[in-house]
Amino acid sequence: MPDYGQITIGGGTLSATWFLGLAAILFTLGAIGVLVRRNPLIILICIELMLNAVNLTLITFARQLQDLDGQLFALMTMTVAAAEAVVGLAILVDISRVREVEDIDELNELKG
Amino acid sequence: MLAVAIFWVMAVLAVLGGLGVIVSRQPIRSILSLVVVMLALSVLFLLLSAQFVFAVQVIVYAGAVMVLFLFVVALLGPGRERRGGHLRFQWWLGWLVGLVFGGFIYSMVQGAHFRPPQHVDLSSFGTVQEIGMGIFTRFLYPFELTSVLLLVAAVGAIYLSRGGWLSGGRRAALSDEERAGREEEPHA
Repeated sequence: MPDYGQITIGGGTLSATWFLGLAAILFTLGAIGVLVRRNPLIILICIELMLNAVNLTLITFARQLQDLDGQLFALMTMTVAAAEAVVGLAILVDISRVREVEDIDELNELKG
Repeated sequence: MLAVAIFWVMAVLAVLGGLGVIVSRQPIRSILSLVVVMLALSVLFLLLSAQFVFAVQVIVYAGAVMVLFLFVVALLGPGRERRGGHLRFQWWLGWLVGLVFGGFIYSMVQGAHFRPPQHVDLSSFGTVQEIGMGIFTRFLYPFELTSVLLLVAAVGAIYLSRGGWLSGGRRAALSDEERAGREEEPHA
């Protein structure tokens, strides 16, 4: 069975699994950041990191399958990520007018 | 061989940047680390012949979105993070869950088999023309929906940042003394 995961770029041959492994590492770092950090701004940054890792997998598969749909999906993801960042930051600024938010666990008014 | 070298340099840069995002104590360093990650990933996108996505990544992501984050840091001030808090066990549990999750994804990726690729002309793969053909034919409906999403996000962000319902209601609830005390408080 031939290995379809090999990508030939300019004479060199790269394996698609390298790209996917890198994306897995970056996604995991982002997930750990969301779970571990307290600052809401850093949590938003970690979400951006995870979205970027997902973009890398989409573009890797687009190149491996030689199908452009993955790249179009990645563009959509970027749009959604930008919208998410804008709304998240606006909420953060709005909350910080009322009080300082150093720890996201302090925002527990909805707890029953 | 050059492509392999570029991949490894950029992969190491991206992982170091990702570590910097979650390790550094100051938000500004996290943001600049994320910019490093994004630029490294943009080079990888170029390696994977996604030219248009590369340009969008550099201009929109590393440019606009990150500048937005920097503005918010400038607005809110550099909030240093305290250790501890009342959910102390969460720190270890977070690392544990993250590492187990990462191990699962990584082992899954290592055992992957790939479908045979279509054979298209790689010299025009990922160019602006090809992307435009895709967006305005097969993906026209999702594309229009994302423009609606952007409009909603812009309106929502303007409404929230001008002092929306939340801050308006809460500010009225604060007593005058509290407000005076809050304003005299020196910013650290």
